[in-house]
Amino acid sequence: MQKLRTALIIGATSAAITFLFGGWSAVVVGVIAGAVIGMTYGQRSALRTPNGIGREAVVPGLVGGLVVVLGGVIHQFIVRPATGQSPFFTHTLRFFGSNAQIDSITVLIISSVVAILAAAAAAFLIGSAQGLPPDKRNRQIAFALGGFLLLFPFYEQITNLNWMGALITVQIYILLALGLNIVVGYAGLLDLGYAAFFAIGAYTTALLNSPRIEIQWNFWLVIWIAAAVAAIAGIVLGAPTLPLRGDYLAIVTLGFGEIVPVIFRNLIAVTIREPFTRFCFVGCDPAVEVRIACLYSCEGPLNLTGGEAGVNPIGRPVIPFTPDSLFGSSSYLPWYFLVLALIVFSIFLISRLRDSRIGRAWMAMREDELAASQMGIDPVKTKLLAFSMGATFSGFAGAFYGAYIAAIFPGVFDFSVSVIILCMVILGGLGNMIGVIIGGILIMGTDRLFLPQIATLLKKFMQVSVLPNVSNEALRDFLSTSVDPIQMRLALFGIVLVIMMLVRPEGLVPSAERRAELHAGEEPRGAPVTADEPTT
Amino acid sequence: MRPWQKVLIVAVNIYLLLFFGPVAGFDIFRIIPEIASKPSTLLQQLLIGIANGSIIAIIALGYTLVYGIIELVNFAHGDVYMLGAFMSLTIIGAFGVTAESTGAQKIVAILVAFLGAVAFTATANVTIERVAYRRLRNAPRLASLISAIGVSFILQNVGLFWGGLKAFFPIMGVNAAAPKAFPELIGRIDVFKDILGWNVPISFSTKDLLVITVASSLMIGLRLFVQYTRLGKAMRATAENRDAAKIMGIDVDRVIAFTFLLGGSLAGAAGLLVGLYNNTAVFTMGFTAGLRAFTSAVLGGIGNITGAMLGGFLIGILAAFSDQYFSSRWTNAWVFAVLVLVLVFRPTGLLGESIGQKA
Repeated sequence: MQKLRTALIIGATSAAITFLFGGWSAVVVGVIAGAVIGMTYGQRSALRTPNGIGREAVVPGLVGGLVVVLGGVIHQFIVRPATGQSPFFTHTLRFFGSNAQIDSITVLIISSVVAILAAAAAAFLIGSAQGLPPDKRNRQIAFALGGFLLLFPFYEQITNLNWMGALITVQIYILLALGLNIVVGYAGLLDLGYAAFFAIGAYTTALLNSPRIEIQWNFWLVIWIAAAVAAIAGIVLGAPTLPLRGDYLAIVTLGFGEIVPVIFRNLIAVTIREPFTRFCFVGCDPAVEVRIACLYSCEGPLNLTGGEAGVNPIGRPVIPFTPDSLFGSSSYLPWYFLVLALIVFSIFLISRLRDSRIGRAWMAMREDELAASQMGIDPVKTKLLAFSMGATFSGFAGAFYGAYIAAIFPGVFDFSVSVIILCMVILGGLGNMIGVIIGGILIMGTDRLFLPQIATLLKKFMQVSVLPNVSNEALRDFLSTSVDPIQMRLALFGIVLVIMMLVRPEGLVPSAERRAELHAGEEPRGAPVTADEPTT
Repeated sequence: MRPWQKVLIVAVNIYLLLFFGPVAGFDIFRIIPEIASKPSTLLQQLLIGIANGSIIAIIALGYTLVYGIIELVNFAHGDVYMLGAFMSLTIIGAFGVTAESTGAQKIVAILVAFLGAVAFTATANVTIERVAYRRLRNAPRLASLISAIGVSFILQNVGLFWGGLKAFFPIMGVNAAAPKAFPELIGRIDVFKDILGWNVPISFSTKDLLVITVASSLMIGLRLFVQYTRLGKAMRATAENRDAAKIMGIDVDRVIAFTFLLGGSLAGAAGLLVGLYNNTAVFTMGFTAGLRAFTSAVLGGIGNITGAMLGGFLIGILAAFSDQYFSSRWTNAWVFAVLVLVLVFRPTGLLGESIGQKA
C-alpha cells in the first residue's frame, strides 16, 4: 500500500479532470497519469533493466488508471444527476463526416477499460525508458510524447471531446512562455511587459495581411516579418532599460507593456508631416496648412489599427496544392499541427541558443553581471539579444494568433496577459523549458478548460440542487450571480504567484542552477550543482 | 560625452517629438493657438490637475513609504486604494444617504465612511505585509515584487467579487464589473463665483477645495509625523539601515508593519476622496491610479515624502493638460512615457538622493 501511495495521489489529481468531464476524457487523462506514474516510479526504482523497471511501474499504472476511471464513473452517476443531466444518453462519434450513435454506458465501459490499459501501457513505456542511457531515454520519451500529440487530435475529433479550441490557446501561451523564459529565466531580466511583443507580432500580421489597408501578403512570409519586427522592437524597447536592473527594469518594461497597446488602440488618425514645414510664415493663411514634406497619409488622417474595433478580418494561411479552406474556422486540426510545429521549432531553436555561447553568456549575466562583464561578456549586446530573441517567439505567437482568430483587438494584450505568461514561467520553473511547458499547460489548461467546465457544472448544480432549497432572497441572488469561478480567474493567477514565491520560488520543475541559487541561504555554500537540465 | 553632443542629442529628440508627437496628440501647431485663444483654460486645467494630483500624491506616499523602508515596489498598493473606495461606497450605501439628504446626515456618513475605509485598508495592508511580504524580506528582491503583483491580482478580484454583491449591497448596481456610481454628497458649488462673488472665467468647486485641503493636511501631517515623533524616527532609522536599527533596539518588524499601516490608511483616505470627487469607482481603478502614483513617487524621488507630493501634483497636472490639449486617449501613454523616461534618465527623481546600485 505504501508503495502505491504516489500512484494513488497522481491518479486522484488526474481524476479531478475525469470528474469534471467524464466519458471519453478518461483515456487521455489515463495516458497522462500513467506516463507521470511511470516517470516517478521509474526514477525511484532500484532496478537497472528497462524491462524490470517497466514491469514494476505497471501495477501503479493500473492503480492510477483505476482511480482516474473512478472519477469518470462518479461524473456519470453523481455529477450528472446533481447537475440535472441524465447519466443515460446517446453519444455521437464523428468519423470525419459520418456519425455514429453510441450509448453512454457503453462509452463508459469502453473508455474505462481502454483508460486503465492505456495507463498501464504508458507507465510501462515511460518507466522502462528510465532504465535506458540518457540519449536513448530521451528518444523513447520523445517518441512516446510525439505519438501522443499526433494521435490526440484525431481521438479528440472522433470522440467529440471539444477540447481543441482551448488546447490551441494553451499552445499559443506556451509559445509565449518559452519566449519569456529566455528573457526572465535565462537572462534574469524580469520583463513585465511581454504582451507588448505579442501585440506587435499580432498587429504586424494584421496590418500586412488584411483588407483593412489593402496589403495582403502571404501568411508564410508575414510570420517571419512579424518575428523580425518583434525582435527589432525587443531591441528598441530593451535599449533604454540597459542601465537598469531589478525592480526598476521590471517597472520600465511594464511601462512599455502599457504604452504599446495604447498606441495600437489609438492609431486611428495618423498623418505624419515634417514639423518645420508647418510653420506658417508671413502672409500665409493658417487655415490652409503648408502641405509640402508630408510623409504619410497626406490625403487625410488614416485609421491604421481600427482602434477599439481592431483589425478584422485577417488573412489565413494557405498551403499550395491543398484547398484554400484547409485553415478555416471549421476545423481545428490544421491549426493544432501548425502551432505544434511552431512550438517544436521554437524548442529546438531555444535549446540550441541556450547551449550556445550566447546562452551561456545570458546565464553568466544572470548570476553576476559584474563578474560576467569582467570575463569579456558584452552586457549591452547580451541583454539586447535576450530581449530580441525573447520577443521573436512572441512574434511567432502573435502572427499565429492573428491568423487563427482572424481578428485582433487591443484589449487582448493588456497587463494581465504579461502576468499570466510570467505566472506560467514561474510556476513551471524559471530557466527550464520542460518546466515552462508544464507550467503553461497547468495555468492555461486550468484557465481555458477546467474553469469554464467547473463554472458550467456549478451553475447547473446551483440551478438544480441548491437554489430550489434556498428561501432567503438575498442569498439566492448571491448564489446565482456571485459564485462564478470564471470571475475568479485573476485571483487564481495571483494566488499561484504568491504561493510560489513563498513556498517554492524555483518552480515545480526547476533547473538545477536556479534551485541552488534560490536556496543559497538554506544549503551549505557551494552545494553541488549536479545535473544540467535535460536536453529536449 | 562632449557638451555639443548632448545638445545635438536633445535637439534631435525634440525634433523627433515634433515629428511623431502629433500622432499621439502632441501637436504644438494646434496647441499653441488653442492656449493663446483661451488662456483661462490653462489655469482651469492647472486647478483640475492639482486636485487630481493631490489624490495621486496621497497614494504615492504609500509607495514611497514602503519603498523607502524595505525597497519593495508595493504593486498591490493601488488595489488597496481601490478597496478603500469600495469600502467607503459600501458604508455610504449602508447609510442610505443621497444627494438630497440633509447636511448632518451627509457629514456623519462621510466621517463613518472615512474611518471605516481607513481602518479597513490599514488592516488589509498590514495583513498583506504579514502574509505575502514578510517571509520574502531576505529573498531576492524580485521575489517580493512578483508576490506583490500576485497580491494585486487577488485584490482586483476581491474588488470584482465585492462589486457583484448586489444582493447585500444594493448600491453596487447590477453589473459586477461595471463602474459603481458614488452618490453626489459634496455638491459642486463654485467657490470663486458663488461664495466669494469673484467674476473669473475659471471655476473652483467645493469638491476641489475639499480634496486639496484634506490631501494637503494629510501630507503635512505625515511629514511632521515622520520628522518629529519617536515612531517616525524609528521609521527613518529602519529605512537608513535595518540591521543597525535592530541593534539600536528598534523592533524592525513592528516599524515595517506600522509603515504598511500608514500607507494603507492613506490609500483608504484616497479611495474615499476619489469617490467623492469623481463619483465613480471601478475594480480596475487601482491599476492605473497605482501606476500613476508610482510614477509620481519615482518622479519626485522614491523614498522621499516631499518628492512624492511634488511628483503627484506634477503628474496630475500633466494628465490634466494631456486630457485637454493632447487627447485623453493618449494620457496614459504620456504618463507611462514619463515613468520610463524618469526611471531611465534620472532614477533618483527630482528630489531624491543618490540610490546608486539599489536601482
